[in-house]
Amino acid sequence: MVILTIAHHTLREAIRKRVFYVLIGLCILITFISLVIPTTDEPNARIKIILVVFFQVVVLLCIIGVILISALSLPSEIEDKTIYSILSKPISKLSIIIGKIIGFALLSALILAILGALNIIILQQAVVRLPEGCKDILKARNEFTVSKFDIQGKLHHIREGTVWIEGGRTGIAVWNFSHVCEKPDSKSYFEAELSPKIESTGKFADSIPLVVRLEGVGSDHYRTEVISIKADEPFLLKLDTGIIQKSSNINISLFPLNTTDHIGVTADDVKVFFVKKGFLLNYIKAGIITFLKFLLIVIITVMGSTYLSAPVSIVSSLIVFLCGHILDFIKDFSFLIQYQGVHEHALPTVMRKPGVFFVYLDSCMKKILEWFSVVLPDFNRYDSLEFLLKGINIPLKTIVISFGYTALYAVICLFISFFVFKRREFL
Amino acid sequence: MDNSAVRTENLTKVYKDFWRRKTVPALINLNLNIERGEIFGLLGPNGSGKTTTVKLLLGLLHPTNGKSWLLGCPSDDLKVKGRIGFLPEESYLYKFLNAEEILDFYGKLFRIPRKERKIRIDALIHNVGLNIHRKRPLSQYSKGMLRRIGLAQAIINNPELIILDEPTSGLDPIGNHEIKDLIIEFKNQGKTVVLCSHLLADVQSICNRIAIINKGVLQITGNVRDLLSQKDVIEFLVKNLSHHDTHAVEAFIRSRNGNIVSVNHPVSTLEELFVNIVQGRR
Repeated sequence: MVILTIAHHTLREAIRKRVFYVLIGLCILITFISLVIPTTDEPNARIKIILVVFFQVVVLLCIIGVILISALSLPSEIEDKTIYSILSKPISKLSIIIGKIIGFALLSALILAILGALNIIILQQAVVRLPEGCKDILKARNEFTVSKFDIQGKLHHIREGTVWIEGGRTGIAVWNFSHVCEKPDSKSYFEAELSPKIESTGKFADSIPLVVRLEGVGSDHYRTEVISIKADEPFLLKLDTGIIQKSSNINISLFPLNTTDHIGVTADDVKVFFVKKGFLLNYIKAGIITFLKFLLIVIITVMGSTYLSAPVSIVSSLIVFLCGHILDFIKDFSFLIQYQGVHEHALPTVMRKPGVFFVYLDSCMKKILEWFSVVLPDFNRYDSLEFLLKGINIPLKTIVISFGYTALYAVICLFISFFVFKRREFL
Repeated sequence: MDNSAVRTENLTKVYKDFWRRKTVPALINLNLNIERGEIFGLLGPNGSGKTTTVKLLLGLLHPTNGKSWLLGCPSDDLKVKGRIGFLPEESYLYKFLNAEEILDFYGKLFRIPRKERKIRIDALIHNVGLNIHRKRPLSQYSKGMLRRIGLAQAIINNPELIILDEPTSGLDPIGNHEIKDLIIEFKNQGKTVVLCSHLLADVQSICNRIAIINKGVLQITGNVRDLLSQKDVIEFLVKNLSHHDTHAVEAFIRSRNGNIVSVNHPVSTLEELFVNIVQGRR
C-alpha cells in the first residue's frame, strides 16, 4: 500500500536524523537520574518517583521531540522541493498526509516501547530492593463503586459537604457495596481504603483510634476491629474473603473510639478494591493511553505543517499542547469575565470603570476563551499516571473513550489537512 | 482517440500575492499539442514559463484558466501519473537514502511488484553508471551523480511520457552525451519526451519539434528542420575532391550566377572532440 510506503519512508527519515538519538539518549539519562533523586522514607517512594519522572518528564520531552520532528518534515520537503518527486507520482495528497501521520505514530510507538521497556526493567529492579511486605506495591486494583452511604445515629455537623460525626457510638458512618462479586484466588484479595478526615476536640490530630466493622448483608459473618488512622494517609484494610464469599453485598461502618475525637466523611472516603497482580498489563494500558496522546499531537502537528512553515508549525503545536493541559483554567478564566473589570486585581484601575470599549473587549475575550476551551483537545484525558500511582486497574472503558476522542479529532484534523493541502501550490 | 501525449488549451497561470491579488502572469493562453513518440523541446529564457508549464501539467500548480491533458487524460487524473516520468530542474532527492533505497521507494509509489522492482533497480543503476556507488548515501553524491539517479527514478515505471527539465545540467560532456543517447533510445522505444532546456545545441541535435516561450507567451512552434533551414542556401558535403576539381566546381557555380558564401573544411564540435579523447577513440 502506498500509504504504508510513505509511513515507512517517514519513519526511516526520522530515525536517520540525529534528533532521534539525542532524544533517546536524553530520556535514558533522565530515567537513570530518577534512581538517585532524594525521596522520602516511604518504602514505595522510589517507585513513585520512577513512575512520575517517566510519565511526566520523559513523556513530555518525547512529545516535544516528536512535535519537532513531525513539524519539520512536510515544510522541509516543500522547501527543498523533494515533495515534487512524490507529487508527480500516482499518489493522492490525502495518502501523503495519512502516511506521514502513520510514520510519526510508529516513531512515537518505537520511542515509547524503548523507553517504556527500560522503565519497566528499572521498576522491577527497584521492587527487588524493597523490604518484604512492601513488594505488592505494583498492583492493579479494580474499584467497586459505593451503592449507598448513610449516617446512623446523630451527626455532629456538616461542613463543605463533609459530614462530621462524634466518637463514642453517637453516630456511625456506613458504606454499602452491593456488587462485590469477583472470585479471588491465592494471588488476589479484597481490600478497603479508608481515608476519613480526623480531628480531636476540634484540633488537628496526627492519628486517632477508629472502630471498623465489616459485615456481609444477609449473612452472620462480620468482623470488628480497632485501627489507628493517620491524617492524610489512607488506611488499607485487607477484607476477609470469607465474608465476601458468603455475600456480595457488604457494609463497612466507621466511628471514632473516643468521645473527644471526630471524623469527617463523604461517600468517597471508603473504597473497596479487588487486588490482583496485574501491574505489567496496567502499565501497558497506561502506555496505550500515552500513545494516543502522542498520536493526537502528531495529527495536530501534521495538520499545521500542511500550511504553516516549520517554526510556526512547531510553536502552534506547542501552544495547542500547553493549552490542552489547562483547559479547565481557560474555562474558569472565561467565567470570571463579566463584561467589566476582566480581573479586578490584574488590570489598571482605569479599566475597572465600565466603558463601551471595555465591555466589548471583555465580551470578545470571553467568547474567544470559550471557543478555545471547546475547540482545543483536552490532553488531561490521557493522564494515566494517577491510576499507576494509586495502583488502580485502568478500566477498558477509559481506553475506549480515549481512543474515540482521538479518532474524533483525527477525522476533523484529516479533513482540514486534506482541504488545505489539496489547495496548496508548490512554487 | 486522442493521439496527443500532451495537449493544453488556453493554459494560463497568474501568480497571486499574499492578499490573493493576481500579480505576475507566468503563462498566458498556452495552446500546445505534442504528438506521441516525438522528442519535443520546450525552449525559453529563464523565467519564460517553461517550469510553470511543467508544474501545471504535473498538478504542482493549479491553472488560473484553461485545461491540459496528458496521454489523453485530464492532467489532474491520478492514474495518468503512473504512465509519466518526471525529472525536475534540480535533483530534489532524499539525501539520507542510497541509490537502491531511493529507487525502491519510488518504485513502491508506482506499485511495482517487489521482484519486478528489484530487476528494474539493478538495471537502472547499471545503466546510469552508479553500480559501485549504489550503497552510498546520496548526500555523498556529486551533482552529476545526483542527476543520473534522478533520471533513473524518472524512468523506473517505464513511462510512456517523460518530462525532463534541464536533464543535462551539472553533467560533464560524457554524461551529457550519454543522456542524449538515452533520450534518442527512448524515442526508438516509442516513448514521448518533453525536454525543457535552454541549451539550444542539445535541443537542436535531438528534438523533432520545438516550442519557444517568452514572458509566458508561446512565440513559435514547429519542426526543428523547418524552422532552422535556410531555403535560399544550399550546402554540399563532399569527400575526396581534389583542389583542381574544387576550383572547377566553384567556377561552374559562379558561371550560373551562384554566390559562394564560404568554402571550408567542416569542423566537428568541441563536445565530439572531448568525448572521443576521453573515451579513447582517438
